[in-house]
Amino acid sequence: MAHAAQVGLQDATSPIMEELITFHDHALMIIFLICFLVLYALFLTLTTKLTNTNISDAQEMETVWTILPAIILVLIALPSLRILYMTDEINNPSLTIKSIGHQWYWTYEYTDYGGLIFNSYMLPPLFLEPGDLRLLDVDNRVVLPIEAPIRMMITSQDVLHSWAVPTLGLKTDAIPGRLNQTTFTATRPGVYYGQCSEICGANHSFMPIVLELIPLKIFEMGPVFTL
Amino acid sequence: MAAPPEPGEPEERKSLKLLGFLDVENTPCARHSILYGSLGSVVAGFGHFLFTSEIRRSCDVGVGGFILVTLGCWFHCRYNYAKQRIQERIAREEIKKKILYEGTHLDPERKHNGSSSN
Repeated sequence: MAHAAQVGLQDATSPIMEELITFHDHALMIIFLICFLVLYALFLTLTTKLTNTNISDAQEMETVWTILPAIILVLIALPSLRILYMTDEINNPSLTIKSIGHQWYWTYEYTDYGGLIFNSYMLPPLFLEPGDLRLLDVDNRVVLPIEAPIRMMITSQDVLHSWAVPTLGLKTDAIPGRLNQTTFTATRPGVYYGQCSEICGANHSFMPIVLELIPLKIFEMGPVFTL
Repeated sequence: MAAPPEPGEPEERKSLKLLGFLDVENTPCARHSILYGSLGSVVAGFGHFLFTSEIRRSCDVGVGGFILVTLGCWFHCRYNYAKQRIQERIAREEIKKKILYEGTHLDPERKHNGSSSN
């Protein structure tokens, strides 16, 4: 989860998120250099003694500041498109979970191996145990195995919602009447938090998502099916 | 980016953010690129000044040198970092496969030894 006043990305828990962080670093370095150049140009403009405002012929400069941004955009677009297509790769998921958004909770269905369906409500502050996270912890977590490709089918029963888990690099809209799909493979066990990411009413901020990722061997023993 | 350290864990270095957003300490290759870029900027700018004694133009050369050297170091370092990550991933997969399949008919070493003895 994010710590207080965190601005940057959370640590990656999936290979896609690792790639996204790499791309973010790449784009940020380009942005930094452009900002540095613009600040320098601004400084020169503010400190110049030249006051002739009738200069109009600057063909070479205009050529440079047209072609250079085009090159920069290509340098940003190529890795971006690479990751975009990487997220759509077919990886034969071993488990499919359905996630249905409601006002204001999530329903999860494990229908591959039995008919487990449960709701996941945020824990109200009065019901928090010591150590629980306010506005993040839920009564029933989504328990999933690590190192196994998982398919999430996301939809909504009423209004728009969005199922997001930042550390996995996931955000998929839950749209009524439509089934969206996202896949991921988690690389390390732990408890990971997300929040609804599409405004959906009064309690939009109070329908979090909690994934509990456990080793495959323990998942196969069936802890999630004892609910 | 990372979670705050647990008690007993070594403390993370304080992050220095250039222009308020580029985290130089925690971004791989950033510190290395910025340092080499600064060195390149000083060398180019000062060198130009020594030859021409033009202050403003030397500052422009310095800024241009900073940008070019930083970009060059950045791409070179990130390329090597990406290669290293791929090699680490391959090594991890191979270790996992070896642990899983050692002694079985799927053991890659057995297949390799079998083919070399034939």
